Amino acid sequence: MRLRVVAAATLAVLLGVAAATASAAGQRAAAGKLTVWLQVDAQSGWPDLVAAANQQFQQDHPGTTVDVQYQNWGDHLQKFDAALAGGGGPDVIEMGNTEMTKYMAAGAFADLTSLKSTFPNSSNWLAGLAKSGNYGGKTFGVPYYAGSRVVTYRTDVWKKAGIKGAPTSLGQFTTDLQRLAKAGSGTKGFSPVYIAGTDWYFAMAFVYDYGGSIAYTHAHKWVGNLDSKNSIAGLTAFKNFWRAASKATPTSDENNPAPYTVFSQGGAGSIIGPGWFSCCTGAKYKGVTAQFVMPSHTPGQAMPGFLGGSDLAVPITSKQTALAADWIKDFTSTSSEKGLQAKGNIPNATSLLGNSVNERAASRSWFVPAAKHWVDVENGNILRNMLAQILKGKLTVAQAASSASDNITSVLNQP
Amino acid sequence: MAVSAETTRAWSRRRPLSRARVVRASVPYWLLLPVVVVLGAILGYPIYSLVRLSFQHYQLFELIRHKGQYIGLKNFGSVLHDPVFWHTALRTVIFTIANVGLTIGIGMLLALLFVRISTWVRVLLTAGLVLVWAMPPVVAVQIFNWMTNPQNGVLNYALTQAHFGDYFQHDWMGSTLSQLGLVTALIVWGALPFVAITLYAALSQVPNELIEAAEIDGARSLRVFFDVTVPIIRPVLLILTSLSILWDFGVFTQPYLLIGQPHIHPGNYLMGIYLFEEGYVKTDFGRGAAISILMLAMVAVMSVAYVRRMLKVGDVE
Amino acid sequence: MRHAHRSLWNTLALAIFVVMVFPIFWMVSTAFKREDEVTSLTPTWLPLHPTIQHFRDAIHHPFFWQDVKNSLIIVCVTVVISLALSFLAAVALAKYRFTGRKAMILLIIGIQMLPGAGLIIPLYVVLAKYHQVNVLSGVIITYLTFALPFCVWTLRGFILGIPKDLEEAAMVDGSTRVGAFVKILLPLVAPGLVATSIFAFITSWNEYIFARILLNDQARQTVTVWLSFFSGTQRQTDYAALMAASTLTAIPPFVFFLIVQRRIAFGLTAGAVRG
Repeated sequence: MRLRVVAAATLAVLLGVAAATASAAGQRAAAGKLTVWLQVDAQSGWPDLVAAANQQFQQDHPGTTVDVQYQNWGDHLQKFDAALAGGGGPDVIEMGNTEMTKYMAAGAFADLTSLKSTFPNSSNWLAGLAKSGNYGGKTFGVPYYAGSRVVTYRTDVWKKAGIKGAPTSLGQFTTDLQRLAKAGSGTKGFSPVYIAGTDWYFAMAFVYDYGGSIAYTHAHKWVGNLDSKNSIAGLTAFKNFWRAASKATPTSDENNPAPYTVFSQGGAGSIIGPGWFSCCTGAKYKGVTAQFVMPSHTPGQAMPGFLGGSDLAVPITSKQTALAADWIKDFTSTSSEKGLQAKGNIPNATSLLGNSVNERAASRSWFVPAAKHWVDVENGNILRNMLAQILKGKLTVAQAASSASDNITSVLNQP
Repeated sequence: MAVSAETTRAWSRRRPLSRARVVRASVPYWLLLPVVVVLGAILGYPIYSLVRLSFQHYQLFELIRHKGQYIGLKNFGSVLHDPVFWHTALRTVIFTIANVGLTIGIGMLLALLFVRISTWVRVLLTAGLVLVWAMPPVVAVQIFNWMTNPQNGVLNYALTQAHFGDYFQHDWMGSTLSQLGLVTALIVWGALPFVAITLYAALSQVPNELIEAAEIDGARSLRVFFDVTVPIIRPVLLILTSLSILWDFGVFTQPYLLIGQPHIHPGNYLMGIYLFEEGYVKTDFGRGAAISILMLAMVAVMSVAYVRRMLKVGDVE
Repeated sequence: MRHAHRSLWNTLALAIFVVMVFPIFWMVSTAFKREDEVTSLTPTWLPLHPTIQHFRDAIHHPFFWQDVKNSLIIVCVTVVISLALSFLAAVALAKYRFTGRKAMILLIIGIQMLPGAGLIIPLYVVLAKYHQVNVLSGVIITYLTFALPFCVWTLRGFILGIPKDLEEAAMVDGSTRVGAFVKILLPLVAPGLVATSIFAFITSWNEYIFARILLNDQARQTVTVWLSFFSGTQRQTDYAALMAASTLTAIPPFVFFLIVQRRIAFGLTAGAVRG
């Protein structure tokens, strides 16, 4: 009996080792391969555009196959760091626009300045996106797509509350909140506008709307600016709006629960987020979902929307920079960008912009400080903690803003 | 025992080395060789590299150029002067004591329960425990998150229905204590199966006659447990305790995923998360290496008592 | 006396079973629920309209079968090799006295005290040098280095726990020391081997970080990495499909346990029978 177990085990190991090393041999044999790291948004959102780009590339470069490997936002940077250290990384990588500066400053990408004019629509690139791909006067990133923030709302709740049309100012929206709350009072815990407590993408919009900012440079040093008069006015306006609008917990973040899930459960009259939120608002409210642009406190203007987005870059470890650039050209071609636009994204060039709610919201936008260590401020949750403390009532707006501002100053000024 | 006693006497008499004796003496080295080779080949360079990194300024810039700057003990100095390090260390020690205590305590009770129940119940409970054990941490976190969700979590629902109070939309992630409490529940829940099953396996090595003999002598259950059972399962108990200390002190996946990256901040850091945040998220690899070594030192101190016991227990007469 | 209390103990054990298994029950129950029941504000205990659609979605999610195959290969090879090698080493450390014994024990413990996270990049660099990145063998090697110290450590404890007189009985029979180990020791340590092998199987099956960092091609990834793609997406998370997928991934370790669990001595120990 024991002999049989040993024999079976040995056989299993031999087979396993054979299988494991077979793949190694196969890998060494493949030459002429371009590796691309895209985020899962492409895999689930527009796989057809990826396939089209691959096809075009392969037509122009027979003998080179394209291997697209999809990454998660949560750990793709750790994987990239490992690849930079040991090799085996991609030839093209999608980076979030807030992630670019740190890696550009460290010299992680190939310089694409000389190739810039060959990229489709490069003379019309969206300023906000293009900036995130520039460092020290050189171009390292090609804008891929962007997204702003809009209000997705339930027309039936609006109707029940007797509100006609979208609010034209923050003040009007705030007045509407009471009627909305009454209209949705049938559901326990109903939020007229469901906003996560620590949704800093939305909260900072108020700061910029009131003329404040997160940080600015002065004499080559970063200075945190959340404790300025304007910023505090913005934060206070946010606090008042949030308290009246949202029943989310002060510590919740905008991913968990996803606002569209709350919407689909009937717990929200409206939600704030990217334009593509309308995809997932649930079968129950399919016919009564619409969007409008979040209004500023100044009547008639849009509140600045956070211009999120992605860039495509070529890691310095790639030995096929020219081929990588060609693939990027195929993937950011006009037809590809128009395809992205059709899926609810903002294309990378002003010449391609349409008139969707999403794109109108991008007319006024704000972006994070272009600092090497900005990513550390984000990952350190400095803004989130500040918001949680303000909304919990643990600190006054001035106190929380002051401490966050000092924190940001020290983090951004690290060598 | 006859053989080993003879061997010992033979060595003490310093008889000339015969071929048989050399072969017999070399047996342990041959037995150990495969493990040593594998560990040495794979971990040798990484461990050396880790130590070297801790003395270097090595951030993203240096990573890309594969070249760091020697700065001596500056990394260690910077970490040891960081109040976050000390607060995190204290918090992690308390966390570890709570987790290990609960895991081993409840695990031991479960193992003892196993001995006393009918076979079908034992099989059912073991099967249930193995299912729990087999749950990937990533999934377990999802489920716990799902169950403690303020919006529609079943925990709030059940507590409210059972009239324990109004838990409608109670935020279980609202305070650090609550967060770490949930993490403890998750970790203990996940660790119990292994501890209970291993301790039960160890208990099965305790000869029944010894226990019955002690009971016939009139000893009460508690006496029987401490005087008869514990000495026999002591090696396994020591191992499980020391392993639990290692794992719970450096735990990373569960708290990181359960609390969630957006809610992690220096106020609720545990050492494993502190290491990851400082070393990897902030891409300061030199500092991360220094923290790794400091963690190693701290764990070594925490488990020295157990390790010394293990070394003594293992002494061959 | 024990028999009289048995029903009491049974009840307690069943209560514990319910508490421990509840999250799993919740996972499986959610996997069968219809979409609207999953996200409704009032949780329902059992699915009112059970559906297997989510299981179908999970299985048809790209690369499911390939990744299961990869996980099985990695885990089986890891378990077999680590058990074999660590048993030998554990015997050496438990039963022999030789120079360097204490040093070796300290080394085994020391390696386990290293925070694994700290080694991610140095290990990646070493593996990359030998072309072990993005191949299953690289992951196997990594898992071996983390499983071996633990297996040696645990098995040593089990071997030390064998009552001395059983060993002596074997020696009296005239067998050599090594022969005694194989014939007598192995069955006695069987419970320890089983517990250790289950641990090695489950830990390797569920490992995420190194598998994620070392494997790039989705066709080469393990099932834990595959799972992460269910919820890593920025767009809608399909919770029910995630629960269905999770249920599926928990099955192989459970099956493995069922196969080997007979060796854990339920009831009287083999030693007592022989004594």
